[in-house]
Amino acid sequence: MIFLGPVFAFWQFTGRNNLTRKKSKQAIPLLKLPQLVLLDCIENLDVLEIIILSLLSKRAKSIAKLIRWNHLDIRLKFGECAQICLRFSTNPGVEWIIDYIKKTEYPYFRSIPVGPKVYRHLVPKDNGNSIEDIKKMIEHICEVFRSPICEIDIFDESLIEWLINFQPTIRYVSIENNLVLSIRKLDRIFNSLKVTEHFQWRSIATSLRNSKSTDCENFHITEPIPFSSISISNSYWLTLPSILDATNSVICLYDSKLTSNDINTILKQWQQGIKLRNLEFLQIETSITEDLDSFAIEVVKDLDWTESGGNDGRPMTM
Amino acid sequence: MSSTEQGTSSAAPAEPTTAPESAAAPEVPESFYYVHGKDKVVHKVSAGALQHSALIHGMISNLGYTEEQAKANPFPFENIDGDILQMVVDWCNQHKGKPTPPEDTNLPKQKEKLFDLVLAVNYLEIKELLTYCCKQVAMMVKGKSPEEIREIWMIPTDAEDEAAEKEAKKRAGKEAAGETAAAAGDAK
Repeated sequence: MIFLGPVFAFWQFTGRNNLTRKKSKQAIPLLKLPQLVLLDCIENLDVLEIIILSLLSKRAKSIAKLIRWNHLDIRLKFGECAQICLRFSTNPGVEWIIDYIKKTEYPYFRSIPVGPKVYRHLVPKDNGNSIEDIKKMIEHICEVFRSPICEIDIFDESLIEWLINFQPTIRYVSIENNLVLSIRKLDRIFNSLKVTEHFQWRSIATSLRNSKSTDCENFHITEPIPFSSISISNSYWLTLPSILDATNSVICLYDSKLTSNDINTILKQWQQGIKLRNLEFLQIETSITEDLDSFAIEVVKDLDWTESGGNDGRPMTM
Repeated sequence: MSSTEQGTSSAAPAEPTTAPESAAAPEVPESFYYVHGKDKVVHKVSAGALQHSALIHGMISNLGYTEEQAKANPFPFENIDGDILQMVVDWCNQHKGKPTPPEDTNLPKQKEKLFDLVLAVNYLEIKELLTYCCKQVAMMVKGKSPEEIREIWMIPTDAEDEAAEKEAKKRAGKEAAGETAAAAGDAK
């Protein structure tokens, strides 16, 4: 030991020196480059690399923000896991995806070619609170690329308040079916969010549907949903008055509890132009307990109608 | 291809050797210019190769040197290391009168020289080579983790940036105080 000690110390010394030298050989002080050159370098990075770089420090972020990036399409989607999906409108063939899944391997990069498209995935470090991480990441991306959120799947209640404060006007919103919401929260969505393209409600919260409390048992909406295009699953809570007073251009209702008489009223008022003046497309899916023929007769009663020859009633020839 | 020759000083450069003539020599004699870097080594470069550098091209156009005058007065680039200037000269010669291909394999691959090369190329305004160098810089971090990117590009943390800023302010304050004191001393 006495003999080997100095040898080991010498090996450590030389080894460490070699390592340090190797590290410095591979490194360049990027931020010390002249600004225009630095921006030229950064412009060669892909979206995920730009995001990683801009997260390293405030200075790196402010430099990344100096570049006039093309408009970035930012979507928060929820499938098997939450994903932030990013795409340049000028290059729709490549999509960058930040996956919020718990993985032991970090960082996880993967490119998946699917037909003419390429999906590039990154799994960021799991800090134990993915919802907060997602919010911060989206705010960061929006700031660096100067682009708004295009679409969001709301799968956690806290996202609603965050979205209302961060970006109250958005093109696409979808409320996920696992989300349990209070009536107050629903009102908050309808009053404070502006959805310009399409609003989708996958399912009303089971707690509202099955709850014994009077508040939830009588859960119905009589006010119209104030978004241009809506698609509602389990739409039993949407009442006739709220539909008749609607200003929507597209209405798709699934699992509706509307009766044949209700549907007939809607169609009549729409055809006569008394109500639903903005409506361009209506789809109602309902489960029929009575005889189908009598239901159909009731629906079109006193209406000027033509039988569809397929193709959703659209003309097949010029 | 140009040759490079060791010189001793910028004021009295050593006689550079002539570049070996290619088999298909141009009929019109080509004019040559001379450049040297920090190490005073003089490089003989043809006017055609120097076309790549907007800075040198501008100098040549403005000065209107004869070949003798050019030989006697090499362009001094004291801020560029000799080996870096050699790389740049080699690249200019290899791409003389040719457009740069999208994937340029003639670019030096040593990453440790890349920073100095980028600075030199930017100073000499060689646009095509600069574009290629910037791509190389970006390629350094392909598939790397945030920690690795920080290390490769030597990105300081916020705390380090703040400390450096404080230090710079302190230094500037001291310098300003020193100047004021000196001015007061002069006035007395």
